[in-house]
Amino acid sequence: MTVLLHAAIDKSSLPVAGKRGLNRVAYWLIAPGVLWMTLFLVVPILMIVYVSFWTQTTFKIEPILTTRSWAAFFASDTYIGALWTTVRIWLIVLFTTLLVGYPTALFVGLFVKNKTLSTALLVLCVIPFWTSFLIRVLAWRPMLGKEGAINIILQMLHITSAPIDALLFTELSVIIGMTQIYCVFMVGPIAFMLGRIDPNVIEAARDLGASFGRIFRTIILPLSMPGVIVGSIFVSVMVLGEFATASALSGRKVNMLGNIIVTQVGSLKWAFASVVGVILTILMGIVIAALLRIVDLKREL
Amino acid sequence: MVTGVLHIAGLTKRYATTLALDNINLDIPGNCYVSLLGASGSGKTSLLRIIAGFEQPDAGAIVFAGRQMVGTPAFSRGIGFVFQNFALFPHLSVYSNVAFGLDNRAEGAPLGASEMRDRVRAVIDLVGLAGLESRGVHQISGGQRQRVALARTLVTEPRLVLLDEPLGALDANLRMRMRGELRRIRSRLGVTFLHVTGSEAEALAMGDRVVVLDRGRVGQFDSPEVVFNQPASPRVAKSLNCYNLFRGKIDAGEFITEDHRFRLGGSRTSSADPSYAIRQDMIAIREGEAANEPDEESISARYLASEYTGSAFMYFFQLHSGSIVEVENHLSHRAMQNLDVNADYTLTWKTESALVFG
Repeated sequence: MTVLLHAAIDKSSLPVAGKRGLNRVAYWLIAPGVLWMTLFLVVPILMIVYVSFWTQTTFKIEPILTTRSWAAFFASDTYIGALWTTVRIWLIVLFTTLLVGYPTALFVGLFVKNKTLSTALLVLCVIPFWTSFLIRVLAWRPMLGKEGAINIILQMLHITSAPIDALLFTELSVIIGMTQIYCVFMVGPIAFMLGRIDPNVIEAARDLGASFGRIFRTIILPLSMPGVIVGSIFVSVMVLGEFATASALSGRKVNMLGNIIVTQVGSLKWAFASVVGVILTILMGIVIAALLRIVDLKREL
Repeated sequence: MVTGVLHIAGLTKRYATTLALDNINLDIPGNCYVSLLGASGSGKTSLLRIIAGFEQPDAGAIVFAGRQMVGTPAFSRGIGFVFQNFALFPHLSVYSNVAFGLDNRAEGAPLGASEMRDRVRAVIDLVGLAGLESRGVHQISGGQRQRVALARTLVTEPRLVLLDEPLGALDANLRMRMRGELRRIRSRLGVTFLHVTGSEAEALAMGDRVVVLDRGRVGQFDSPEVVFNQPASPRVAKSLNCYNLFRGKIDAGEFITEDHRFRLGGSRTSSADPSYAIRQDMIAIREGEAANEPDEESISARYLASEYTGSAFMYFFQLHSGSIVEVENHLSHRAMQNLDVNADYTLTWKTESALVFG
C-alpha cells in the first residue's frame, strides 16, 4: 500500500518536459500568423482610431487630440445620411443575394445529382470573376442605360414604349450591380452545405410522409443555415466596404461610407477619413457578431 | 389470387447496361419475418428501394394491401424503411426524430399534441430507448441510433417495414442482441419485416422465410431449413457459403468432374448448370489412402491450411485439379484433428448427403 503511494507521489514530481515541449512548438508555429495580424491588422486599426482624434485644419494635421472631427461627422446630415444609405443598401443587397443565390445553390447543391455537372455549374458562376472588378461594374452601364440592352429588348417585345430612365444612375442600379457581383459568394457556401446533406436523410423524410415543402422547411433549411450565415458574412463585409460600384453605377449620386472615405482621403483630410473608417469598422464588427450569434459555426462546421 | 400482403409481379429494373432485377415474382405473406439474402450486386437493395418508392421499375407491378404501388409516391405508400446508415435527422433530438413522421406527414389527419406524445413515447419504449428522448443523435451509440431509425418508421404504423442491412454497421455482440430485439418487436406489432442482408447466417437466423436473390433473380423462397438443406439451384447453394460445389456433367448414373466420378444417390434437382454439392460440415477427413465404406464417396486431397473460429475448425484442401474444398468440423461433434500441411488425405461423405443438380 505504501509502495503504491510512493509511486503515485513520484510520478507527479517527474518533469513534464514532453508537454511543455509541445506547447513551445505550438507557440513557434503560430508566431508568424500572430505577428502578421498584429502588424497589418491590429496596429493599423489602432492607428486609425488614434488619427481620428487628431486636429485637422485645411492645410495640415497635428497630433493634438480633439473630438472635433467626430462632432463634425455626427453634426452633418450628409454624413449621417451616408451611414443610413450604407446600412440600407447592405440590407437590401443581402436580401437580394439570398433571393437569387439560395435557389441557385439549391439547384446546384441538391438537385443536380451528377458531381461533375454541379462543379461545372459552380465554375460557370465564378467565370465572370476572371475579368477585373471595374470591368464587371462598368459592364452594367450598357446593360441598364437608356439605350442599353435591357431597354432595347423591352421595347422590342413591346412591354414598354419608352426607355426606363430609372435603371441607370440610381440606387436601383447600384443594387442590381452589387447583387450580380456578390451573389456568387452566397451560392458557394450554401451549395457546399447543401451538398453535405446525406441524400438518405431526405429519402427518409419522404418515406415518413413529408411533402417537399415540409422537407425543405424542417430539414433542408436548418441544415443549410451555416452556409447562409457564412455567405451573409462574405456579402456583408464586401457590401459595407463598397465604394466603386456605388459611384460608378449611380453617377456619384449614392454616397456610402466607403465613398466618404475616398473623397476625404482624396482631399487629404486624414482625421475625418479615420472617423468614417472607425465607424465603418465598428459597423462591420456588429454585423458579423450578430450573424455569428445566429448559428454556432464552430459546432456546425 | 393474392394471398400475401405484398405481391410483386414481373419486376424488372435496368441501370444503363446492367440488368439489376430480372422478372422478379414474389408473394410476401403478412405478419411474417422475411429475410432477403443476396451477395453484392444481386439486386437486393434495388428491389428494396423500388418497393419503398425511391426508384421506379422499368416493368412489372407491385401490389401492397390491395393498392398499386408503381406510380404512388413514397410518402403515401404506408411502407416503412430503415436505412443502412440510419439516416437520422442530424439537427433534431431523438424525440423529434421519432415524432417527425407524425408531425410532418402530408396525408392523414393532424394529431392532437397529447395523442402524438403518447404514440411517440409508446414506440420509444417499444424499441428500448426510454430516457434518451432529449439527446442529440451524435450523443448516442450506434446500437441506439439503430433503434431510433427503427422507432422513427414504426411510429407511422406501417404494414410493411423494409430494412436495408440494418445490422451491418453494428459490432458482432450488438448484432446478436439486435437480432432477437428485431424479432421481438416484429412479433409484438404483427407486421411484416423484409430484412435485406448479405450474411447467410443472419438471413437463416432471422427469417421465418428466406428469399435468396442471385443476379437479379429469385433463386429460392422458402423456410430457412428448406433453403439450407435443399437449395433449389447451384447458385443458391453458392449464396449459402456452406456448400462445396463441383462442376461437371452427368453420364450413366455418375457425376463426372475433373477429379473424380461420383455415384448418384442423393437428391437430384434439374438445373441448366450441372453441379455436385456437398455441405462443408458433412465431410470427414481420413488418413492417407483409407478405404471407403460402400455408401460413401471419397476423394484424395492435399491439406493446405486451417482456420479456428472458436466452436469449429475450417480445413482447406486442394484437389488435383486445383479446386479448393472446405471442410467444417464442429468441435462438439468431432475432435480437432492435427493435419500435416501438404500431406494427402482422403475426404469422405455419405453418397446420399450430396446434392446433384443437372
